[in-house]
Amino acid sequence: MKDSERMLAERMTSALNSYLDGSGETALHAAYELGRDALGSGLGLLSHATMLDRALLMAVRDRPEGAADVIERAEPFLIEAFSPFEMAQRAVRDTNAVLRRLDRAREEEVKRLAHELHDEAGQMLAVVHLDLDRVANELPPGFRDRLEPVRARLRDVELQLRRISHEMRPTALDDLGLLPALRFLGEGVARRASITVRVEDELDRRLSPEVETVLYRAVQEALTNVARHAEATRVTVRLEHEDGLVVLSVTDDGVGFDPGRAGDGAGLGITGMRERLASIGGTLEIRSTPGKGTMLRAPIPLVEHAAHSAGR
Amino acid sequence: MHMTRLRGAQTVIVGIEESRVHIDSDGAIVEARQRGRSLALGLGFSAGSATLIATSISELARNILLYAGEGEIALQPLRTGGRYGLAVFASDHGPGIADLERALEDGYSTSGRLGLGLPGVRRLMDEFEVRTNGVGGTVVRAAMWNHS
Repeated sequence: MKDSERMLAERMTSALNSYLDGSGETALHAAYELGRDALGSGLGLLSHATMLDRALLMAVRDRPEGAADVIERAEPFLIEAFSPFEMAQRAVRDTNAVLRRLDRAREEEVKRLAHELHDEAGQMLAVVHLDLDRVANELPPGFRDRLEPVRARLRDVELQLRRISHEMRPTALDDLGLLPALRFLGEGVARRASITVRVEDELDRRLSPEVETVLYRAVQEALTNVARHAEATRVTVRLEHEDGLVVLSVTDDGVGFDPGRAGDGAGLGITGMRERLASIGGTLEIRSTPGKGTMLRAPIPLVEHAAHSAGR
Repeated sequence: MHMTRLRGAQTVIVGIEESRVHIDSDGAIVEARQRGRSLALGLGFSAGSATLIATSISELARNILLYAGEGEIALQPLRTGGRYGLAVFASDHGPGIADLERALEDGYSTSGRLGLGLPGVRRLMDEFEVRTNGVGGTVVRAAMWNHS
């Protein structure tokens, strides 16, 4: 135990005893301040609870009255000491709700941009093709070939635009669903990173648009990580049912890493993935051993989907 | 200190002037919390809700000590139809809050970063209002209704 924690523990014990001795609101105020200090010093909720529990245990041992009596009388003190954590927890809940709204707004914005890039920029380029044809017709025959490299470059630009817009927000995800979108994504990654990407889908139904988007983004992030860091030759993306859950897994045969030591290196990508999954009731597990590949597993409760789709 | 007498359905509601506590020390905070808690319990609030009211009083009184040095916490029982509530007023003649919107954001102060302070009180209570002009003085009104 650190010195600061030992001091907190001592203050807790003495405040609890003074509460049990009848000092009333003064001790409750002290309990509140203790909770506040614990929160401020970064003490986790579990450590805080453990500390309080030990203080209570000591009081039970030291006091002449019966244990049940002490425990019952200590309740207001304990609740008071947790109250700052209640406040902080409400803040987290609110923040998550805001993040979720922001993420949804961002997804809508990306959808709009991808659409504009695909449709509007695409149309403009088609017009440039027509213009080139007109210029070609006005040129003497020997000069027409000179336009061919320009046309080829223009076609490259079109391809790139389409690729970028698809990766930003595949129309397949909106029109056809998660599986075709994942296949398309997998093909792109396979081509660029020269790895074999398999997409296996054991689900027999479409999920709500929100869940499909979250899963798509998770796979996108996972495949990006595999392509960048894993030095893998094969990666399998799998969606399946398991005890009332939808489980997404992404498994590669790359170099792996020590998840315990990834720390900050895990970066925003993983954190973002975890937060998005949490917003639909899911969790994220990462299993990896250096030299033995990485498996990323995200179980999501099916019940949540029903609730979400019913809300639409 | 004037007593609040609450006997069953026959509720005597204290006037606002009877529940003012001058805040200039930790001891005064304790006094304000004590009065807030017993008023809340008398109005039929659960022990948990009474704790949240005491918590709000602590945070508001803390702000008074921290930013203005001294001020006042006033407690006002409320009644609409058959529902009871309790309003906590925290007022001071300190420097006021220059940027109220920011002060109500979580990241603004150290307390705020933890979800405590004014943003925390706003979350705990059903109604929350701040009057300040950035030149002098702040009045915060935070009220909770008995939902049970």
